[in-house]
Amino acid sequence: MADPKSHLHLARPLAPAAISTSAPATAPLSCTILPQALFSILDHASRRPADQERVIGTLLGTRSEDGTEVEVRNCYAVPHTETAEQVEVDMDYQKAMLGLHLRANPKEVLVGWYATSSELNTFSALIQNFYSQQGEGTFPHPAVHLTVNTVAGQDIDANTYISAPIGVTAERAADSCLFIPVPHEIKYGEAEKSGLEVIAGAREREDRSLLMQTDVETLEHAIEQVLEMLERVSNYVSNVLDEEAEPSSALGQFLMNTLSLAPKVDAEDIERDFNNHIQDVLLVSYLANTIRTQIDLSNRLATAALTMGTGNEGASTDGQQKQDGQQRRGGDRSDRGGRGGRSDRGGRGPGATFADMS
Amino acid sequence: MADTVPNTAPMREVQIEALVVMRVIKHSTSAFPTPATGCLLGMDMAASSGTQLQITNCFPFPAAAPDQPSTQQDTGYYQQPTDAATLAAGAPRAKSNVNYQNEMIKYLREVNVDAQSVGWYISTSMGNFVNLNFIENQFFYQKAADEKTVALVFDVSRSSAGSLSLKAYRLSPSFMASYREGKFNTENLQKSNLRYQDILVEIPIQIHNSHLLTSFLHDLPQAPPKQTALDFPSSLADLSHDPNVSSNPLAPNLDHLDLSIDPFMEKTCDLLLDSIEAHQTEQNNAQYYQRSLAREQAKITAWQAKRKQENQLRQQQKQPLLDENEWQKLFKLPQEPSKLESLLIGRQVEQYARQVDGFSAVVSGKMFGARGNLLPGEAQ
Repeated sequence: MADPKSHLHLARPLAPAAISTSAPATAPLSCTILPQALFSILDHASRRPADQERVIGTLLGTRSEDGTEVEVRNCYAVPHTETAEQVEVDMDYQKAMLGLHLRANPKEVLVGWYATSSELNTFSALIQNFYSQQGEGTFPHPAVHLTVNTVAGQDIDANTYISAPIGVTAERAADSCLFIPVPHEIKYGEAEKSGLEVIAGAREREDRSLLMQTDVETLEHAIEQVLEMLERVSNYVSNVLDEEAEPSSALGQFLMNTLSLAPKVDAEDIERDFNNHIQDVLLVSYLANTIRTQIDLSNRLATAALTMGTGNEGASTDGQQKQDGQQRRGGDRSDRGGRGGRSDRGGRGPGATFADMS
Repeated sequence: MADTVPNTAPMREVQIEALVVMRVIKHSTSAFPTPATGCLLGMDMAASSGTQLQITNCFPFPAAAPDQPSTQQDTGYYQQPTDAATLAAGAPRAKSNVNYQNEMIKYLREVNVDAQSVGWYISTSMGNFVNLNFIENQFFYQKAADEKTVALVFDVSRSSAGSLSLKAYRLSPSFMASYREGKFNTENLQKSNLRYQDILVEIPIQIHNSHLLTSFLHDLPQAPPKQTALDFPSSLADLSHDPNVSSNPLAPNLDHLDLSIDPFMEKTCDLLLDSIEAHQTEQNNAQYYQRSLAREQAKITAWQAKRKQENQLRQQQKQPLLDENEWQKLFKLPQEPSKLESLLIGRQVEQYARQVDGFSAVVSGKMFGARGNLLPGEAQ
């Protein structure tokens, strides 16, 4: 998912000597954005005050030791007001919120800020200098500025920048800076895949929502998708064979490689392994449900015993003991089944249990 | 389980924003295997068919709760070992976190986030979440008068196997009533007819995307290629590097087709055994109680007989009679142990059993598929 657009890496302009000591590093860096940060920015954009063009917020994340890689993991909104002449950022809010976030995620640090418009102006430079300043800012590392274009009717695209100081005098340098685009990619982890899949499933729908599916439904969905892909490939192959489509040796080689991944196993071995495995699985499932029934029964006996008067107390205790014995046995069996033990021996377990019960 | 919802709870369904899903996943996986907890924000929409709870934002609770005393004083009779896992699990009702939550909500309100706490989330592994901590946390949220709160349970292990495992639970009204009384002895359970199946009510979940997000998701795989038809790749390496054929990151997720299930089964079996052991302990406690009760009662009967005899003697000798009910002061009947723990174990075992059912249903389908592929002749 790397941004296909190429970025121009400008050589860092020589800063005036007066401020060169306090200038943050402007070495190019690569930026990784996790989807939840982007989602959060989009959520903020849709909750902005009606009269405000863009909203801003702080980016949190981690930075590699040499500072060349930044991972944006989280973000939060910061209220600000912008008029034609001036911009006001709620510094106290930013500070308090940063403190709260750091309490919950001590590993994350301030890495930069975002704005929900792709425009870069004087105010952007001001805010950028605020975020990259010494003390509360990201100094000596550069602050990352992420812009996400949320203007209606245009593509939503994200851009990342770092800044270099520019300006003739120290006073002018405070409200001007040179934004240098840096490459970024949107990355997601293994665990987020399942979440993103459901979220992506809802994008095609009119009401933009999707009921959570059960495991079997998801499996069905996945199989359908695979079938569809197979269909496309086999269509292409048969078209090539009929000389209707243009053949490609690379594609052919790719398909060959893929097909050769199918294992060659004896039919008997497959049959045997298959039966063993499926018996184990079914047995574990059966035992788990037996245990559930036993526990249910035990709980009912435990509460039902005293209604029959004190005379029956002894009997009910006996019943519980007997049951416990069976649960122990059932439990041992399920353990063996789960580890792939001999299923025929375990298989007798529940049968015997039921005989005892009746 | 879901079909019991309409008649027991006024809450019809929970609608979760994609943002919340992603945040919960991120927090849970980074904290794994320690359970992660956090606060959910949103609002409830009343409709004719029942309330729909919309969860629009969330934030994590600080994991290390520094005030152990306050977590413990809530639990009272149940002394917790103070390891990281229990601390994290107790976080939602710790005093410092209540302050944290209030402060966070105050700040979030300024940026137009729905500033209403609608519950909490917790991460778990293989459905191992039904315990006293969970109940106490949800009770803490649900005890207010006109609350609409849910507990969102995210299963890290199961989600890594493919499909997203996110569930919303509430305590059932009958359980709330019993828990408020705080007595889970035999008599009360018979009266309220509470079974472990009635503790938690599951509420269906709907994932919802905002308009902006929908359009972003459509943009995300990158703009369609400029040419109408792609050129064929010239070599294999070209195929894996061409930006135009980069894989779509969102779907399909082929992890579902993974045949491996043994690690999950084994873990579930281990957990199941743990539950049985816990059940055994509870059973022993109950038996011990019954034995000591019987012993005490035998003593009382003996004492009463003796007193009666004495009184008969005194009557004959025309002496004042002794009080026959004095045994109430002399003997103390043992306290019945709480049945809550065994109820929870029952619920937990049910959870595991259903989980195993789900696993075996999915895996047997996949196994037959794989066999059909490897033995094409017999697939027909």
